[in-house]
Amino acid sequence: MSLSTMFDESIYGKMYGNQRSVASNLPTVSDPDKAFAEITRQDYDDYINNFRDFEKRLLDATNDTTLIDKARENAPKQAQIAKDIQRRNTERYGGAGLSAAQRQEQQRALQRGGQLSLAGDVNNARINQRQLNQATLQDLIGIGQGLNTEATNNLASSAANTAARKNAYGQAKANYSSQMTGLGTTMLLAAFGV
Amino acid sequence: MSKPKKSQYKESEADQTSTAVSLADKKFYREAYLPKLKEKRDRSETDDIAGVAEGRAQADTMQALTARPTLAATRSVDTSADIASAAGAQLLQAANQGAQGQRQDQLGVLKSARGLQSTATAGLANAAKIATTETLARAKAKGTRTSALFNAGNRLAGAFGQNLSDANAYESSPDTDPDGQDQGNFFQKGFGGIDTKGRG
Repeated sequence: MSLSTMFDESIYGKMYGNQRSVASNLPTVSDPDKAFAEITRQDYDDYINNFRDFEKRLLDATNDTTLIDKARENAPKQAQIAKDIQRRNTERYGGAGLSAAQRQEQQRALQRGGQLSLAGDVNNARINQRQLNQATLQDLIGIGQGLNTEATNNLASSAANTAARKNAYGQAKANYSSQMTGLGTTMLLAAFGV
Repeated sequence: MSKPKKSQYKESEADQTSTAVSLADKKFYREAYLPKLKEKRDRSETDDIAGVAEGRAQADTMQALTARPTLAATRSVDTSADIASAAGAQLLQAANQGAQGQRQDQLGVLKSARGLQSTATAGLANAAKIATTETLARAKAKGTRTSALFNAGNRLAGAFGQNLSDANAYESSPDTDPDGQDQGNFFQKGFGGIDTKGRG
């Protein structure tokens, strides 16, 4: 019984009958081995053309310093924003009854705070950046390991296939030689009437 | 014993169908999914997730610390410094979350491209989880405390003034009993209010 007949008669045929026709219309692959070889090559080409540079950039990103750079930029900006807020609020309250000495002290406090904030933020950014880069590296190593294992397995499989082919060839040669020797012997014996 | 025939070694129909379906799937993947993966690759590099997170952190900080300007906060010596350091800490937190999200996206793309299992979480969702830093919480608590103290002081001063005014009015009224006329000094009037029996 052919597969298509079995399919028609089965419950799946009744349920998915319309889909069967799609599968039946697919072109037959005359040489799956060749198709597989082409697909493997195409997959690799696709990967190299589309993702190899991206992968390299990601590998370089394990030395990234964006967070530290940003922390250095942000601290003075935030100090300026806070200073502007303070100025606007003071104006809003008509000077807020602050003396010159009080205003000066506010400025000093802001400067001190800004510097402390810069130092603290940069220190924290260093820690965060290190954690981020290490986590990325860890993930990349995981990807690399998976890749390496897969490649090793494929190579092992190829090597095993080659060895098996070599052995089969050796075996076939030995069989042929043995058969030829047997045939020669039989003919020789027949010629001498033994 | 007959000679082996090539047809006996032909693929079965199931094998042929499986091969054809697999090839069709590979073709469809290449046409439909590969462009999407390339799109995700580009977006994972160009989307400014950290920028979005930083914008939100900046807004959150300013909303928490400057939404209601008060005289007390304006007069305070260290309010500006607190705002600056809280905003810096929040921005750092946001940049970190954003960078983590972006890396997650990028690693997801690479894993997919390498045919490995990839996580389904989006970097932007991760960036939305900006934690409140200790610095912001402290600055906010300080602001709340200053306002509360200021308000309490205001209420106390109001009550003191009212008591003082009542006691003075009682003292100077011609209808007041002479025994209760002396309402004591400034503080006794302010804190005690009217004493009908007098404090003298």
